[in-house]
Amino acid sequence: MRKYFYTTCMCILLLWFSAITAYAQQRQITGTVADQDGLTLPGVSIKLKGGTAQTGTDNQGKFSISVPAGENTLVFSFIGMQTKEVKAGPNQTKIQVTLQNAPRDLNEVVVVGYGTAKKRDVTGSVGSIKGSDLIKTPAASVDALLQGKVPGLQVISSSGQPGSGSTIRIRGLGSRADANPLVVVDGLPLGDAGNLKQINPDDIESIDVLKDASSAAIYGSRGANGVIMVTTKKGKLGTSRINFSSLTTLSTLGNKLDVFHDPVEAATIDNQARINAGIAPLFIGQNYGGTYYPSLAELRGIDPNKPKWATNTDWAKLVYRNPVSQNYTLSADGGNEKTKYAISGNYYNEQGLAIKNGYQKYAGHVYLEQKLKPNVTLGTNITVTQTQNYGQGLSADRSIIFPAYNPDGTYFHIGSNDFGNPLQIANEVLNKSKTIDFLGTAFVSWDIIKGLNLRSQLSYTYGNAVNDNYQPRDATSTGYLFQGYGDINNYNGNHLINENYLTYDRDFGTKHHINVVAGYTQETNTVRTSDLQGHGFVNDVLQNENMASATTQFINNGLTKTALQSFIGRANYSFMGRYLFTFTGRADGSSVFGENHKWAFFPSGAVAWKVNEEAFMKNITQVSEFKIRGSYGLTGNQGISPYQSLATLGSYKYFTDGGFQTGYGPPYYNDGSNVNSKVFNGLQNKSLKWETTRQLDIGFDLGLLNQRFTLTADYYYKHTTDLLRQNQIALSSGFSVIEVNDGTIDNRGLELTANAQVLTGKFSWNVGGNISFNRNKVIAIGGGNQIEANGQDIEAIRAPLNYYINGQPANVFLGYKFDGIVQTPGGTNPVDGSAATVGDIKYVAGGPIAVGQGEYVIGNPNPKFYYGFNTSFKYSSFDLYVQFYGVQGNDIFNFSKFTPSAQLQAWTPDNPTNLYPSVNATRVYYSSNWYVQSGSYLRLQNVNLGYTLKANLVKGISNFRIYFSGTNLYTFTKFSPSFDPEVGENGQFGGNYRKPRQYSLGLNASF
Amino acid sequence: MALATTLTLGCKKQLEEKPYGFLSTTNFYKTEADANSALIYAYSILPDLDYYSRNFIVLTELPTEDVAAASGKSADEMLLDQLSVTATNGILAPAYQFPYVGINRANLVIKYVPNITAIAAASKNEILGEALTLRALHYFNLVRLFGAVPLHTDPVDDISQTNLKKSPMKDIYDQIIADLTKATGIMDQTVRMGRVNQVGAWGLLSKVYLTLASAKASGSPGYDFVTSADDMYTNAKTWADKVVNGQTVYGLDPNLVAIYDVNKKLGPEHLFDASVDRLGVDEGQYSKLPLFFMPNLNFRLPNGTYVPGGFNEFLTEPGIYNSFDAADKRKTQLIISIIYDVGDAGGNKGPTQILSITDSYYRPFSNKFNDSGWQTGQQTSANTPILRFSDVLLVYAEAAGPTTDGYAAVNRIRARAGLGNLPPGLSVTQFRDAVIQERSWELSFEGNRLFDLRRSHKMESVLKDTYGKTISGDPYYFPIPQAEVNKNPNL
Repeated sequence: MRKYFYTTCMCILLLWFSAITAYAQQRQITGTVADQDGLTLPGVSIKLKGGTAQTGTDNQGKFSISVPAGENTLVFSFIGMQTKEVKAGPNQTKIQVTLQNAPRDLNEVVVVGYGTAKKRDVTGSVGSIKGSDLIKTPAASVDALLQGKVPGLQVISSSGQPGSGSTIRIRGLGSRADANPLVVVDGLPLGDAGNLKQINPDDIESIDVLKDASSAAIYGSRGANGVIMVTTKKGKLGTSRINFSSLTTLSTLGNKLDVFHDPVEAATIDNQARINAGIAPLFIGQNYGGTYYPSLAELRGIDPNKPKWATNTDWAKLVYRNPVSQNYTLSADGGNEKTKYAISGNYYNEQGLAIKNGYQKYAGHVYLEQKLKPNVTLGTNITVTQTQNYGQGLSADRSIIFPAYNPDGTYFHIGSNDFGNPLQIANEVLNKSKTIDFLGTAFVSWDIIKGLNLRSQLSYTYGNAVNDNYQPRDATSTGYLFQGYGDINNYNGNHLINENYLTYDRDFGTKHHINVVAGYTQETNTVRTSDLQGHGFVNDVLQNENMASATTQFINNGLTKTALQSFIGRANYSFMGRYLFTFTGRADGSSVFGENHKWAFFPSGAVAWKVNEEAFMKNITQVSEFKIRGSYGLTGNQGISPYQSLATLGSYKYFTDGGFQTGYGPPYYNDGSNVNSKVFNGLQNKSLKWETTRQLDIGFDLGLLNQRFTLTADYYYKHTTDLLRQNQIALSSGFSVIEVNDGTIDNRGLELTANAQVLTGKFSWNVGGNISFNRNKVIAIGGGNQIEANGQDIEAIRAPLNYYINGQPANVFLGYKFDGIVQTPGGTNPVDGSAATVGDIKYVAGGPIAVGQGEYVIGNPNPKFYYGFNTSFKYSSFDLYVQFYGVQGNDIFNFSKFTPSAQLQAWTPDNPTNLYPSVNATRVYYSSNWYVQSGSYLRLQNVNLGYTLKANLVKGISNFRIYFSGTNLYTFTKFSPSFDPEVGENGQFGGNYRKPRQYSLGLNASF
Repeated sequence: MALATTLTLGCKKQLEEKPYGFLSTTNFYKTEADANSALIYAYSILPDLDYYSRNFIVLTELPTEDVAAASGKSADEMLLDQLSVTATNGILAPAYQFPYVGINRANLVIKYVPNITAIAAASKNEILGEALTLRALHYFNLVRLFGAVPLHTDPVDDISQTNLKKSPMKDIYDQIIADLTKATGIMDQTVRMGRVNQVGAWGLLSKVYLTLASAKASGSPGYDFVTSADDMYTNAKTWADKVVNGQTVYGLDPNLVAIYDVNKKLGPEHLFDASVDRLGVDEGQYSKLPLFFMPNLNFRLPNGTYVPGGFNEFLTEPGIYNSFDAADKRKTQLIISIIYDVGDAGGNKGPTQILSITDSYYRPFSNKFNDSGWQTGQQTSANTPILRFSDVLLVYAEAAGPTTDGYAAVNRIRARAGLGNLPPGLSVTQFRDAVIQERSWELSFEGNRLFDLRRSHKMESVLKDTYGKTISGDPYYFPIPQAEVNKNPNL
C-alpha cells in the first residue's frame, strides 16, 4: 500500500450529480405539535416516512406538509423529545401531535469526526456539551467556558487579561513538543486549542471532546492530545427565529492586594534590606541618583526641620479600575424543506482591570444550505472575526513613598534608570494587536444510492495579525536602551483543506447494521511573517508610524509551508443492536516528517456491549441504559516545526571593514534568556517523525429510571513514545541540540460523570458533577538521561525549576530543603559554600538528585484530581444555576511569596521567626520548598439567577429571559490570599494579570 | 442540472520540504561571495557575549589579581574568583562551547572553500588562511583553559560525529602550529578591521611557541610533551621577529589612550580584535563589556563621555592597582579614579567622586573598554583586543631573553608607559619574570594574565603567596564542563 502512495499521483473525480424528480398527486396535511405540558414546540422536524417531503413547525408549533395521496406516516423529531411516528389516514388533513420528553441524552447526536453518531451507539469515550449549557459567563473564547464541564478536559486560565487564552489538556500532558488538543470546527481542522477566538460562543450548537484512541484515531497524527469538535448552529426546519442576547459585566479585583500602606513601613523595610546587605540605606534624608530619599523621621513627621512627608501614593487606585464590559449577539436562523440558514453577528468588548487595557471583537457567521435535488445538498459556512487588543498588564507594587508625577506634570522616576512608572507605561507605550480571521467552507453532499453518501468539502482559512509596539526612550528600559524602539510585526496564515469521504450506512436483515466511512483529505498551510524594527528615533511623537526615520532598521521575514495528505477509514458494525464494533484508521503523510519517515498509520478498535438490550435485562426496567465500552489504538502527534529535519543555514552579522557584513553558516536561535541564550540547532535528522500514543480505555455508561440518573465512568492508560524533543548534544560538536524522537510519558486516570434529576415537575432540581484523576509519569526522558530541565535558568533562583525526571511526574520542582532560618552565626551555606549569616534561609543540600549540591524533588505542579459540579433549580419562571470548579493536590512555586505583609514579619534579631528570612537587598536565593505552597482550590465559579417571561406575553416575543450572573465569586484555598491560585501548567507563579471577579446582567430575547 | 468538478490531488512531491529563506549546504559555497560570507560567519562568533565580549574576559580576569567579583553577583563568579571551580560552574560551558562553534564554522570554510572555482586564487588563499588562523585561535584558547580536549578538524554534519575522544595536548598544539604555519604562508598583509592577516597569524604563532617554551622551562603541569624549551623560545623569537622587524603595517602606538579609542580602531597596534559597533542589533554585534568595569552610577568620564550606569560587576583589586609604579601611564591614563557629575540624570551638573581602591563598592576601574561616542543605553563600540602589537613585542622580549634585542623590546614598552629601562644584567630567569610582570601591566584586564601565570607555573606563587588569594581547585586547568561530560561518553 505504501508503495502505491509513493509511486502514484492520485486523482479523484468528483462526478455528475443528476437526479430524477417524480411527480404524483399531492395533498396537504396541517397540524400543531406540543410537548407533554401542552406548550407548542417550534422547530420540530417533520418527515414523510419513505418519502422525501419534510418540513418543520413554526413559532406557534404549526406545520403544513405536502404528501402523496393515500395513507402516510409522518415522523416527528425534536432534540430532547422522543421521536414519534404518526399515521395519517387517506382523508386526514389535520393532526395534533404531543411529543414526550425523551429519556435523557440517549438520542443525542455526537460529532465524531467525518460523521456523527447517536450517543447511545458510541463505542469510544466522547465528552459532549451543548452550547446552551455553555453561555453562563462572559468569555472571549469558548475554551475557558469548558472548565469543569467535561471530565478529562483540563482548562487552565491563569491570566485575567482580556482576550487571553487558556491552556487545554485532555487526559494529561503527553508531549514535550506540543500537548495542545486539536480543535475542529464544523469538520475543519483549525489547529491548537487554547484561544478559539474565531468562534462566538453564542454560535455554538455543541462541543464534543474525543478522548480515547478509537474516537481520536480518525485524526491520526494530530489526535494524540485529543480532539475538540465544535459544531456551530445550522438553522432548524420550519421556524424563523431572531435572537438577541446581551451581557453587561462589571469587573472588580478578585483578590485583595498585598502592598505597603504606610510609607514608614516601606522605608524601614527598604533601609533594613540594604543594611542587612552591607550597603548604605537610602532613606536617610539624602539625594541619591537624582532623587530625594526622606529620612524615617521625616516620613513619621517627627523631624523638627522638615514637614511630614506628604506622599503616600495609592498605586492600586491609579492603576486598576472597575471596568464595564459588553457582549451582544444578534442572530437569525430557520429553514424550510430546501433551505436552512443561520446568520449571526457579535460584538464583544472586554475592558481589563488595568487602565487602558482592553479587547474588542467583531464576529460574523453565515451558514447556508440548499437542497439542489432531493439527493444533493450544497452548502457554505463562513465565519469572519476581527479582534483588537491594546494595552498591557500593570503592576501596583511600586514604592508608595514616591509620587506618580513630578510637580511639572511629567512622570516621576526614582533615579534615572527607573522605568517602572505604570502610568507612564499605560499612557505612552504603544502595544496593540489586530487580527482578522476568515474561515470558509463550501460543501456538497450527495446521496448516491440508498445508504451511500459522498461529502466533499473545500475549506479555506485566512488569518492575519498585525502587532504594533512602540516604547519611548524614558518609559521602558528597552526604549531607553535603543532611544526609542518601534516594531511592526505581521503574520499571515493561509490554510487550504480539501476533504472527500464516502459514508455507507445500511441495515442487513434485522440484526446487522454497518456504517463505513472512507475518504481522502489534503491540506496545505502557509505562514508568512515579517517584522520591521527600528531603533533610535529623533523623538517619540510618531511612535512606530515612520519606521524609515529610525537610526537603525532591522527587517526579518519568513515563510513556512507544510502539507498533509491523509487516507481515512472507519467501520462501525452492530449486531442485534447490542454488540457494537468500531475500527478506525488514518494514514498521514506529512511534510514536516524526516525523509526516512514520510507516512504514518494510526489504527484503533473499540467494542461496546449494550447490556440493557439483553433479554435478561428486559425485566429490570429501572435500568434504562447500561453500556460497557473498551477501546485500544494508536494516535500521533506531529508537533514539529517545519524544516527541522533538514540542514539549513542561518545568518549573522559581523562588524568589519567599516560596516556590518552578513555571514552564513549553521544556524542558531535565541531561547530568550539573558545569557547563554544561543541554541545552535542546525544539525539535521532525516529520521524525525511523529510521537505515538497507545491508549487503552475501558468505561461504562449507566442510566437509571429513564435516564433520570446517569453515571459514566472511564479508566484510561495512555502510553506515549518517541517523544519529540531537543536532545542536548556534546558541546564540542559546535551544536547544542538536535531534534529527535525518544522518551516515554505515561498518563493514566479515571473519569467519572454523574447527573441526577432530583426533582422534576413544577419545581425541578438537577445536580451534576464530574471528577478527573490523572497520574502523569515520565517513564524515560530519552537519550539515556535520568533528568532534564524544562526551561532556562530563572533569574530569581539562578537555576531552572521544572524538570523531567525518570519515574516522576512531568515538571516537578527541584530544589533544596528549607530548614527554617539561620538563627546562630558560624555555619556554612551548603549551596554556595558562603558563610551563613543569621536571618538567611537555612538550606539542606545533599539530596538524591545530582543537580547543584544535591537537590530534592520539592513539589509537583500536576493536580491529583480536578472536578466540577453544578446544580440547577427551576421554579415557575425563575431558574438558578450554581457551578463550582476545583483542583486538588498540586503545588505552586510562589516567587512572589515574600510580599510586603510577609516582609513585615521578616526575621530580625527581635523576631527570630522560622517562617521568613530577613530582608536583604542583595541576597541570592536558591530554589527550596520555602517557596512551595499548596495549589489546591475550590472556586464558586458561577451563580446564575434568571427570570423568564411567559412566551408571547408580549406579542412577537417568544422567549425573553433576563439573568444575573456572578463569576469567580469566592475561592477556597490555602494559597497566598492576595493572589489567585489558578496558575500555569508548570506551577510557577510570579505575579500575573489579576483575575477579575465579575457581575453580569444578561438578556436573551427571541422573536 | 449537472455539475462536474475535477480535482487533481497531490502526490509525493507535495510532502517534500523546500525551505524558503533558508540556505542549505547544497546551494551554498558556490561563489567568492559565499566564501566571504562563510568566513564572516566564522568571525561573528568572536564578539558574542558568551565569548570575547563578556564570558571570556570574566573567566580569564576574575581568577587573577586584576579584578574581583563584586558582592551580590553570581555564586559562579565568586567561586571563580576563589579558583574554586567545579564542572557545573556556569561560566565554563560557554567558554568551552563557543570556541567549538567557531571551530565548526572555520572547518566549513576549510572544507568547502577549496572546491569553489569561481574565485580568485589570492582571495581563496586569504579566506582559507584566516579560517585556519581562527581555528588555531579557538584551539589555543581551549587547550590553555581546559588542557586535552576533543579535536575536530572536519565540520560536523551528522549526529554520529559529535562524540570525539579527548586528544592529547600535544596533538592540539601540533594542529595549532600546523594551521598557523600553513596560514602564514598564504595570507596577505592587508588591514581589514575585525579580521586577522598574515602579521596577526605570525604573532599568534609566536605566542603559541612562547607558551610551549615557558611552560616547559617552568615545569608547568601538562607540558612534558615539549621536547626542548630552548627550541620553542627560538621559534617564538623567529615568528615574533617577523612582526617586530619584518613588516611595516603595525607598530607601537605612541599614545596609550588612542589604542582604546573606538574612533581609531585601525590604529597600529590592532593585530586582531573581536569587532563590534554600537549600532548592532544585539549584544554580540555591540558590546556591554565596558559596563562590567564601571560603577552602577550615572556619571561622566574624564573625557566627558556620559555613562548611563555600569553593572559594577568587576572590582579592581588592590593587587594590580598597587603594583603599578605611581608614574606608570598605564595606571594614570588607563585606570580611572575620578568621575564627574555623579547621579546626573543627563545634562545637569553633579558632584565629583574620587574612587578609592579600598572601597567595598565603587573602585577605580579600567579605561580600556569604553566608547567615547556612547549615546545613552548600554550599546558600546568597544572591541575586545585579541592580539595587540605590544603583546607580540613582549613575546619577542621574553623569547629573546636578556639580550640586546630583548632589552630593547621591553624597554620600548616601558618608555611608552613613562618608565625607565629595566636594570641591565638580569639573569635569564629574572629577565623573563620581569617581562611577564611587564605584561601584567601592559595587558591588564585584556584576558592575558591567567595564561601568563599558568604557562610560567606561577599561579600559586603569585596569586596565593603574593596576593593572598585562595586557590581550592586545579589552578592550571578548568574542568571540562559537566554538560559536555554528561553528553559525550567518549571523554
